[in-house]
Amino acid sequence: MLGRDDTQAVSGGPTATSTPPSAAVPFTGAHQAGIATPAQDRLAMAAFDLSTSSRDDVVAMLRTWTAAATLMVQGRPVGDVENAPLAPAVDTGEAYGLAPASLTLTVGFGPSMFDGRYGLGSRRPAALADLPQLPGDDLDPDLSGGDLVVQACADDPQVAFHAVRNLARLGRGTAAVRWFQLGFGRTSSTSSAQVTPRNLQGFKDGTNNIVAEDAAAMDSFVWVGDEGEQAWMRGGTYMVTRRIRMFIEAWDRDSFGDQESVIGRHKISGAPLGAQAEHDAVDLTAVDAQGHPVIPATAHIRLAAPSNNGGQRILRRGYSFTDGIDPVTGELDAGLFFICFQRDPRDGFVALQRQLGAHDALNEYIRHTGSGLFACPPGVATGGWWGQGLLG
Amino acid sequence: MGLRTALSLGLVAVVSAACGGNATPGASGSVEAAATIVHVTITPDGCPPDPSTIPAGPVTFKVANDGASSASEVELEQNDVVLGEKEDLPPGLSGTFSLVLAAGTYALSCPGTTAGTASLTVTAASGGAPSNAPAASPSGAVSASTTAALAQATVAYAVYVRTQVARLVTSTTAFAQAVEAGDVALAKSRYAAPRVFYERIEPVAESFGDLDLRIDGRADDAASADAFTGFHRLEQALWVAGDTTGMTPIATQLVSDVTQLQALVASATYQPAQLANGASELLDEVASSKITGEEERYSHLDLIDFQANVDGAQEAFELLRPALVEIDPALASTIEGRFTDVDASLQLHRQGDGFVLYTALSATDTRTLAQAVDALAEPLSQVAAEVVGNG
Repeated sequence: MLGRDDTQAVSGGPTATSTPPSAAVPFTGAHQAGIATPAQDRLAMAAFDLSTSSRDDVVAMLRTWTAAATLMVQGRPVGDVENAPLAPAVDTGEAYGLAPASLTLTVGFGPSMFDGRYGLGSRRPAALADLPQLPGDDLDPDLSGGDLVVQACADDPQVAFHAVRNLARLGRGTAAVRWFQLGFGRTSSTSSAQVTPRNLQGFKDGTNNIVAEDAAAMDSFVWVGDEGEQAWMRGGTYMVTRRIRMFIEAWDRDSFGDQESVIGRHKISGAPLGAQAEHDAVDLTAVDAQGHPVIPATAHIRLAAPSNNGGQRILRRGYSFTDGIDPVTGELDAGLFFICFQRDPRDGFVALQRQLGAHDALNEYIRHTGSGLFACPPGVATGGWWGQGLLG
Repeated sequence: MGLRTALSLGLVAVVSAACGGNATPGASGSVEAAATIVHVTITPDGCPPDPSTIPAGPVTFKVANDGASSASEVELEQNDVVLGEKEDLPPGLSGTFSLVLAAGTYALSCPGTTAGTASLTVTAASGGAPSNAPAASPSGAVSASTTAALAQATVAYAVYVRTQVARLVTSTTAFAQAVEAGDVALAKSRYAAPRVFYERIEPVAESFGDLDLRIDGRADDAASADAFTGFHRLEQALWVAGDTTGMTPIATQLVSDVTQLQALVASATYQPAQLANGASELLDEVASSKITGEEERYSHLDLIDFQANVDGAQEAFELLRPALVEIDPALASTIEGRFTDVDASLQLHRQGDGFVLYTALSATDTRTLAQAVDALAEPLSQVAAEVVGNG
């Protein structure tokens, strides 16, 4: 680090809050946890395909998953971690003795779950329309889609991994893992109490994110209200995941000035080009002495700005990832596992990505290699279970 | 919903609590339909069982700690021998453990309470004290007939193993003769038959020292090129070199090795848990090697081995099934369904009397097969402990 950014304190920006490992996030509530929850440090996410033809099996699994999740977010095992010598343990054991670490578990249902196998054809929300082909897509079908998804976030990677692993085991025979992604390092803040993190491009990411404390924005842009024709989704939200690979080697060779022009912010301070502090307003009208826009026409933050997208905002909650190397080139396969939540993906992610995918200067350095779209139901009430509104 | 039966034993209490204390709605663990349920509530005063007199047979203890801050466990003992227990129960938590109990007097020990112990009486046969289990099977008679069924299973399995090995010896001898005669085409046509018999009982062979390594080792299992023997050495000669020159000693040794196996299984006996564990091992074999095509690297006949492994596992399971149905009918039913799924997935790749070559499978095919095997192996892994009465 070349030096702390003092402008943060001057502008009244957020100071780092370190959450104690013993912190536990309630599982039940009006909304699922893991969306407005302050972003934890680690991600384990698995998309599943349902291998059963029985709706009853799906319901049984979701009930078991609910019971298991209730235990795990309290730091408790899902069952015996040891057993009689001839019997396998019920819980796999690697989180035994570890604190809850703010574990949250969030479930979402993909469009393919509504294909008629479980009698849900008439329950598919219009907002859960398949994502269209978007400019620049290079999607691997094996890293995309899924009948349902489980997002585990925690400050301890072992706690996050343990949760997904045990849910996958409990689902054996009903659901099979389709793709699995670990994430390290959050690339967004979802609370005004959090410091903006840096992504693998070295830039602060999520400066203008929607935060949980902004209830008006959460209601306007994130939580589904009465507008949806499907009552079971009210209080829920839609999750879009995009595995965005970065061409690390090329990016690292890029000149400092060009990197800042691509993003539209100063790299170290996070301030918009032409401004001083990270949270200074983004002035898209500023021009230099030659009349050129200070924030270039194809800069990322210009294209993503709400003022350029009909006021649209999405809640970003992604993580950095690294998955070995590209077998063809030997280059690092790493980047940003982008996760966002919005009230309607058609107005949110899709509209934004149409713009970015076509014009963003950043496109030279990234590729979208995986994609997911899921309807996240509202929170589980005490005594209820995941998806009860849809399948109960 | 067998998926939840064994795995949910630890969860049932939580789900019940979450649902307001009533029995889990929907498909509640069918284990409890066959087992007597005893509630044990740990308080600062003690841990009395409710009911305190039960019939012999399967019992599920549901233990809850209701405010006993100095106590955190319950042990079931008889003559100072601990038969079962539930630990790590601070106030507010609950859990279960299951046993099969014969008639007699038992003690529930809960250190840290005033009373410290409580008594549990188990009565014999029918006509005993009222039980809260549905009369699915005559209590007391369950354990006797289960024991008999398990004994029968191990005898029948010994017969099965001897039969498979006898056929192994015969078919290996025919295969070796073709190799020694230098008839490559004939030897290739006779390779699959002994593979089937061997792969059905492979875990038994593996229990006898390095016999399995000599018979079925792969090229990279061998410490040196000279140590690479058995079926796959001959497979390599036939399919890669297309030539049996120098293979006579290998073929002779293979016949000698399977003959030795036959002598070893002639007097071998098995425990019920070995049948269950062997079935699990066969499926682990499938998931780790057959499914990747690494077993038959030269002939690509892996699906024949795959079917044989599944057949061997299914045979062991079918022999245990009468006993398992008495102990845990839901689990037995789940496993049967999963075997059907695996068989159905395999049958898609049939060709004539055999299967397509492994190389004909797509990535989706192998993934589908692997997931079907995983779905079967998970509930099957519960069987060993259940048939021994402490699952």
